[in-house]
Amino acid sequence: MALLRFSSDLDPVSNLLTLQSELERFLRNPAIRLGVSGPGDFPPVNIFDDGDGVVVMAEIPGMDVASLNVSGQSHTLTITGYRKRETVGDAAGYHRRERPFGEFSRSVQLPDELDLDKAAARYEAGMLTIRVPKAESAKPRQIAVNPA
Amino acid sequence: MAEQEITAKEKQQVAGQEKTRAGRFFLPGVDIYEFDDSIKLWADMPGVKESDVEVRLKEGVLTITGTVSTETYEKLSPLYTEYNVGNYFRQFELNEDIDDQHIGAVMKNGVLELTLPKGERARSRRIEIQAG
Repeated sequence: MALLRFSSDLDPVSNLLTLQSELERFLRNPAIRLGVSGPGDFPPVNIFDDGDGVVVMAEIPGMDVASLNVSGQSHTLTITGYRKRETVGDAAGYHRRERPFGEFSRSVQLPDELDLDKAAARYEAGMLTIRVPKAESAKPRQIAVNPA
Repeated sequence: MAEQEITAKEKQQVAGQEKTRAGRFFLPGVDIYEFDDSIKLWADMPGVKESDVEVRLKEGVLTITGTVSTETYEKLSPLYTEYNVGNYFRQFELNEDIDDQHIGAVMKNGVLELTLPKGERARSRRIEIQAG
């Protein structure tokens, strides 16, 4: 399902950003249901179609992979973890404290016809990327036409 | 302090100066703590690799730039989006005297950690009080 495509070579980042506004009208995309969590919950997620399935990306900087959990049940993908503040034991004080810390749980309901058993998650540069391929049964098939 | 419920903040776009590099720039969220002999700064820049961060200190202005790779997104078409993807840029004027020869910078899991040691003049010293 291709709703939009990135096209210009000139400014790919800018193109990406315009998606945000263009996509607002797709917020109620029937394929993606958010369940109990929604925008504003941590971590923020973006969901893409890569042709072979769905890619869920979440910005969760500064995590230990060990304290990051991804689980799937039926059509629901759940990301949980605890983001811990760095040790600042003997600090005399702070000037800025803008970064979010604490326990989080976020779930996303994925479209049907995906194979959660074959999902793969990767954590790199503070980004969690989960790829969920389409189920074999949902892939297009070539049907042979036999001569009579 | 009780643990607050964790929420995601919308990224703030950098206002003001125009950049020569194409693409939008966002302000990374930072924590800045002061210690007796140093200032430590952490900046959240998810999506930025170790090799794509630049830190400069010139005339008392600290500049942090992080570039995200857009390659990842080339073959993806969006179904649902909550956050913007873009580069990061933020500047701070440092009031303190910083020993710029010994600044430490570590980038790990999308978090930049800077250690800015205070120069001799800026270190706080405990003054011994003599009994009168």
